[in-house]
Amino acid sequence: MKRLLLAARFIFLAAVLVIGAAACGGKDEKKAAPIVIGVPTALGSIEGADSLRAVQLAVEEINAKGGVSVKGEKRPLAVVSIDTREHEPGIPVTDALAAVDKLIAEKKPNAILVGAFRSEVLLSSMDLVAKHKIPYITTIAMTPDFQKKVKEDYNKYKYMFRMCLNAPYLVNYLSRTMGFVGKEFNFKKAYIIVQDVLWAKGTGSGLEKWLKDNGWEVVGFDAYPTGASDFSSSLGKAKAGGAQVIVPIFDMPQSGILLKQARAMKVPALMAGFISPAAPGSAWKTFEGEVEGLVNLLFEIGPMPVKAVPRSVQFHESYTKKYGQEMGAKLSGHGPGPSYDAVYVLAGAIEKAGTLEADALAAAIKATDMEGVIGRIKFSDDHQVVYDVNPKEAAIGAVFQWKAPGVRVPVFPETAAEGKIELPPYMKN
Amino acid sequence: MELVNVLVFGLVNSAVLALTAMGFSLTFGLSGVANFAHGGLYLLAGYTSWILANRLNLPFAVSAVLAVILAALLGALIYRLVLMPVRGIVLSEVIATFAVGVAILELFRWMGFVTYEFNLRPFVKGSVEIAGVAVDYQRILIIGIGLVLAAGLWYFTRRTRIGLALRGMAQDEYTALSVGIESDWAAALSLALGAGLAAVAALSILPLGIISINIGYDVLLIALAVTVLGGLESTTGLVAGAFILGYAMTFTSTYLGPQWMEAVYMAAIVLVLAVKPSGLFGKSKELEERV
Repeated sequence: MKRLLLAARFIFLAAVLVIGAAACGGKDEKKAAPIVIGVPTALGSIEGADSLRAVQLAVEEINAKGGVSVKGEKRPLAVVSIDTREHEPGIPVTDALAAVDKLIAEKKPNAILVGAFRSEVLLSSMDLVAKHKIPYITTIAMTPDFQKKVKEDYNKYKYMFRMCLNAPYLVNYLSRTMGFVGKEFNFKKAYIIVQDVLWAKGTGSGLEKWLKDNGWEVVGFDAYPTGASDFSSSLGKAKAGGAQVIVPIFDMPQSGILLKQARAMKVPALMAGFISPAAPGSAWKTFEGEVEGLVNLLFEIGPMPVKAVPRSVQFHESYTKKYGQEMGAKLSGHGPGPSYDAVYVLAGAIEKAGTLEADALAAAIKATDMEGVIGRIKFSDDHQVVYDVNPKEAAIGAVFQWKAPGVRVPVFPETAAEGKIELPPYMKN
Repeated sequence: MELVNVLVFGLVNSAVLALTAMGFSLTFGLSGVANFAHGGLYLLAGYTSWILANRLNLPFAVSAVLAVILAALLGALIYRLVLMPVRGIVLSEVIATFAVGVAILELFRWMGFVTYEFNLRPFVKGSVEIAGVAVDYQRILIIGIGLVLAAGLWYFTRRTRIGLALRGMAQDEYTALSVGIESDWAAALSLALGAGLAAVAALSILPLGIISINIGYDVLLIALAVTVLGGLESTTGLVAGAFILGYAMTFTSTYLGPQWMEAVYMAAIVLVLAVKPSGLFGKSKELEERV
């Protein structure tokens, strides 16, 4: 009897194991391999970290609907990331490139999104991407030399696209803002202070040319190394030179303190430009209201919901719901919008091409025409998303002004404006 | 107006440099240890004060006092745990303290202290006009704190029993031992004092900017530049070095461009080591240089 019971137990256990293994095996067979998205960027920067979160949000949304259809098979998206640390002072381009290479070699991504933070790294990584033939949509680095390289050797670099604002578009937005400020307040003297990096210096030079061509006097133009936090020499010169507008162009965390120093030194000038730490909704609290009056650019909409673009409102709500109120308020003004959209552009292109093969995918990405968080997404011949002022026709950035009691009021372009630029209280007295 | 600006901010910048280098110079002067963890201790004090004030909601004054005490204790611990086994081997001392400094800085990076929100409140808000140039109270306070600390240190090392014991140890360790001064105790105390001074400097200077990891590395380079220029164990040299570099950096920033400021103190280190390794007021190596 005992033997019989033992045999019965053995048979039962064996059956359970066989059925279990079959079930698991069956599941594995049914589960489609994920499409791997690589995100090699400066994860310690606010732009990089927020962009990765935006990518993860879009991936979750797509996966919740079953994934991306490739030749009739639904495949989930998976995100792998690596910190290139390229935003930190003293990190050489080669270190950032090594990180990108490691990600490609170890994780074998089907596509790369977000990508380089510094323009220097973007340009240097183009050959690496061309060698591996991986579709690459960059959403932070801004140098126009990217488009120049794509145009010069199209077959080699056709896998690379850019969805964020580039430096010439930024100059365009800034010069239109300066045009308005000059006309409205009769200002004609400006001082440009930039970060000593490729995109910021390029933007500053472009704006300087525009200002001089349009009758402005440029009192000074200074470049600060990444990591610098004492701006007193430029502020002193701006005050002594009678500058009416100071144009700061910075993406480093230290740049927020420029506003506090300007207030402490009683510099009677309007601040109008781009200070990355002053772009998020939480900046009023962080800088204890000393951002008041600052006219700041959001390179792409999304981090600030703009009523004229319903997808931007929807994105902001979803982001806040997933990551919490505090993270929603801290959303960076550059990167998250196009990074979120980039996932949908990639997913749409994969479905359209019906394959993950790089050449077909690159052609499908180039043919994109969709409504996104940043407005209408269409690529130019040199693989740059077109930015202008009407979100129904192109992607848009937005200029806003910080006003009491801590509100970001969109002031430009007119299609998105909800208020007008006003002189800050310290200039009215 | 621009020149007045340079003169006023050059003075402030000099005070900032002197305060930054004071702890490093004091430790070397009293114990002969070049504490390359100086930048790490400086930033540790800044982040500690921020965490206590913002996460635990302690009053800023309390957070500042606790940060100084913590830095001083850590300074003494660095001597007891890291330096004692390698005491007397200069290269090992430098490598060991540098490793501790890097470990502190990179620990904060790993913990995510890398964004713009980490800034300390100034002791007093507002500004005052000096010869038509608006200077915030915090910068004026830095000059005051620098002066008080310099006077206090002078009194401590020349008029108190402990200070005299430390100086005795610095002058001749064996003679000091023979009269009952314990060298390990003296060295640990000098590390603690240097670390405490680094913390005071951090809490005074950091409200002018934000707390970021790279400042820790910059602070070490600035402390080295000031002390190498003035002379490693000389208080007069420290002040002179700070003023020369402070004004040189302000002039460079104003008339050549801010991107050249870092080059000034890097060039100072290289030039002084090449031409007069003992620095402007250093004494210990003068004989060797003549030979």
